[in-house]
Amino acid sequence: MDLAFTPEEQKFREDIRAWVHDNLPKDISHKVHNALHLTREDMQRWAKILGKKGWLGHGWPRQFGGPGWNAVQKHLFEEECALAGAPRVVPFGPVMVAPVIMAFGNEAQQKRHLPGIASGEVWWSQGYSEPGSGSDLASLKCKAERMGDKYIVNGQKTWTTLGQFGEWIFCLVRTSNEGKPQTGISFLLIDMKSKGVSVRPIIMLDGGHEVNEVWFDNVEVPAENLIGEENKGWTYAKHLLSHERTNIADVNRAKRELERLKRIAKTEGVYDDVRFRDEIAKLEVDVVALEMLVLRVLSAEKSGKNSLDIAGLLKIRGSEIQQRYTELMMLAAGPYALPRIYEAMEAGWQADQYPGSALHAAPLAGTYFNMRKTTIYGGSNEVQRNIVAQTVLG
Amino acid sequence: MDFDFSGDQEQLRDAVRKWVDRAYGFERRHGIEKAGGFSRQAWDELAELGLCGLYVPEADGGMGMGPVEGMVVMEELGRGIVAEPLAQSLIAGAVLSGYAGAELKAAWLPRIAGGEALVVLAHQERASRYIFAICEAKASQTGDKWALSATKNIVPAGDKAGAWLVPAMANGKLALFLVEAGAAGASARGYSTQDGCRAADVTLVNAPAHLVTLDGLTALEHAVDIGIASLCAEAVGVLDKTMAITAEYMNTRKQFGVVISSFQALRHRMADMKMQQELARSMSYYASLKLNAPAPERRAAMARAKYQVGVAMRFIGQQAVQLHGGIGVTDEYIVSHYFRKLTQLEMGFGDTLHHLGEVSQRMQDTAGVFA
Repeated sequence: MDLAFTPEEQKFREDIRAWVHDNLPKDISHKVHNALHLTREDMQRWAKILGKKGWLGHGWPRQFGGPGWNAVQKHLFEEECALAGAPRVVPFGPVMVAPVIMAFGNEAQQKRHLPGIASGEVWWSQGYSEPGSGSDLASLKCKAERMGDKYIVNGQKTWTTLGQFGEWIFCLVRTSNEGKPQTGISFLLIDMKSKGVSVRPIIMLDGGHEVNEVWFDNVEVPAENLIGEENKGWTYAKHLLSHERTNIADVNRAKRELERLKRIAKTEGVYDDVRFRDEIAKLEVDVVALEMLVLRVLSAEKSGKNSLDIAGLLKIRGSEIQQRYTELMMLAAGPYALPRIYEAMEAGWQADQYPGSALHAAPLAGTYFNMRKTTIYGGSNEVQRNIVAQTVLG
Repeated sequence: MDFDFSGDQEQLRDAVRKWVDRAYGFERRHGIEKAGGFSRQAWDELAELGLCGLYVPEADGGMGMGPVEGMVVMEELGRGIVAEPLAQSLIAGAVLSGYAGAELKAAWLPRIAGGEALVVLAHQERASRYIFAICEAKASQTGDKWALSATKNIVPAGDKAGAWLVPAMANGKLALFLVEAGAAGASARGYSTQDGCRAADVTLVNAPAHLVTLDGLTALEHAVDIGIASLCAEAVGVLDKTMAITAEYMNTRKQFGVVISSFQALRHRMADMKMQQELARSMSYYASLKLNAPAPERRAAMARAKYQVGVAMRFIGQQAVQLHGGIGVTDEYIVSHYFRKLTQLEMGFGDTLHHLGEVSQRMQDTAGVFA
């Protein structure tokens, strides 16, 4: 047992840190450190920088052009990116669909799709949830009917994050109503420029346009876009969700945001208020404990000795912590978090135009509202508790 | 970064677990509690396993092991809510070998390792609560002889010990002494504690004492940090067993015609308890792995760990009793004994609110470091 990283791992970390320092555009990290609005261009500029280095698919094995890093190296890379203020990699392509294409797609699909994902050229979206299928995802209804060498897709997906930028979407579609709901689902890749696909914005409680409805009206999809076998899509999706969950703990961002919370609390004069600082202290312990939990999982992955069945705990705790730091940031600013001035979330807006010159406070309430999603998505925390209870009680 | 146990560590765990399973069942434990909370026989058995000398260097007759081994042993003792205070031997072994002079080491370390001498930390005073700097005990020097006057409370197995490690003010500065139980002017009044263990008030009236170190604060802080790491590990064992007892009960107890583990309200409670259990385990690892860090880093880590483990102990203890229903609040059924142990541990070496305050005060001023 050892808490310290090996000298090789430390060297690896230093190399990553130096590279990120040299390559992460300062205008982008400024926005991330201050929770300012990131444009599509910002996100894709960073994705392409990573792509050029071969690190956008940083979790990929060598045979698909990835760096072949182990679990610890991946963690160190993610931590260095997060602490430096890099935007989160939009996960739908490199983190979510790519592993499915690698594991279950055929060679033609791999050749066609993986290069565009690895380079950051092609923006992918996720088509899972439907209006009637949230936690009970397997009840989904969006239908794909096989007609010759095509599928005809009809139905609706929702909560499609950044779908307004999407060029391709991977969807779970119903191809059979026989047997259990899970057994009639297929995994289909759909070109969002196809005739009959329409994307409509959903404006969230923070006023932002982050998620969308995606409608399919007699959309023709070539049968070659089916991943693996028809009606086996649920198995592939579960593979993907297991990837999503360790990623979702996001402890690295929590470490960065904890420091930002301290900065804000100081600026607002509440850092010396024991009642307020104690709340930050609790959060600090929570973040350390979450990090220890994550490191235990990574260590188990690295050595392959113990498997730790605690993915559900990571999701629950990580999401609760994300909500808590945004909550405390907003509370620190108090009434100065309340003005709803969208322009103040753009880089370059002048502090003296914001009430009380408290420019840093402009995004705090919006971020707080926005982060309510974290205990809902990726399998709601109540669904996660069912899973955790299963591990204890059978 | 590696959280695997070595083969030797796994063997050590197995040996202690076997002893607990075979020799320290609930009935014996209950009997020890009724008989006052300390069994010399059980203590001797721990000594035979070599555990009393875990932190005593090999040259002094011990095993010369480190924090991870200590953690493994304490987890297993926690599983069996073993009443005998092995952590005190870990503290005494490490503190004497780290701070005492050669003569004192030679006189005491082999006997600590062999179990003949139970040496316990006697630092708690009524006015000091958890603040070491507040100390009314006084040491006076005549030539090279020291004598102590002090009243120390809640000293673990204090009336069964062969000697006490006693902090006292010497010329305005905190120093650490060893006082033999048979010394003139030394007395101990023993009593049971809520967890079925034993403690004592120790009174010293101009009692002859051996100086361990004049830098008493450094040694005492180290002693307490070893105590915290040991306590966190012990707590993990207690929590693991509490969870197992509760899960088994929920899968057996029937109401409304079904086992109560089928009710979602109770399942979600168990999920929340599992969360606290794993956070506590994570922070117990953290405490033990930071035990050899430089003092400021070590102290900060112990406060974080004890806070988190304290939250977990209170939550899981209370909820385990709740999930048992009426049987949970009886002395006859095992879970109440685990609950009382968790409650006792929460107040050991600083309670949860105290350590939250420590974290809050120490919170490193790194604000802005990543910007």
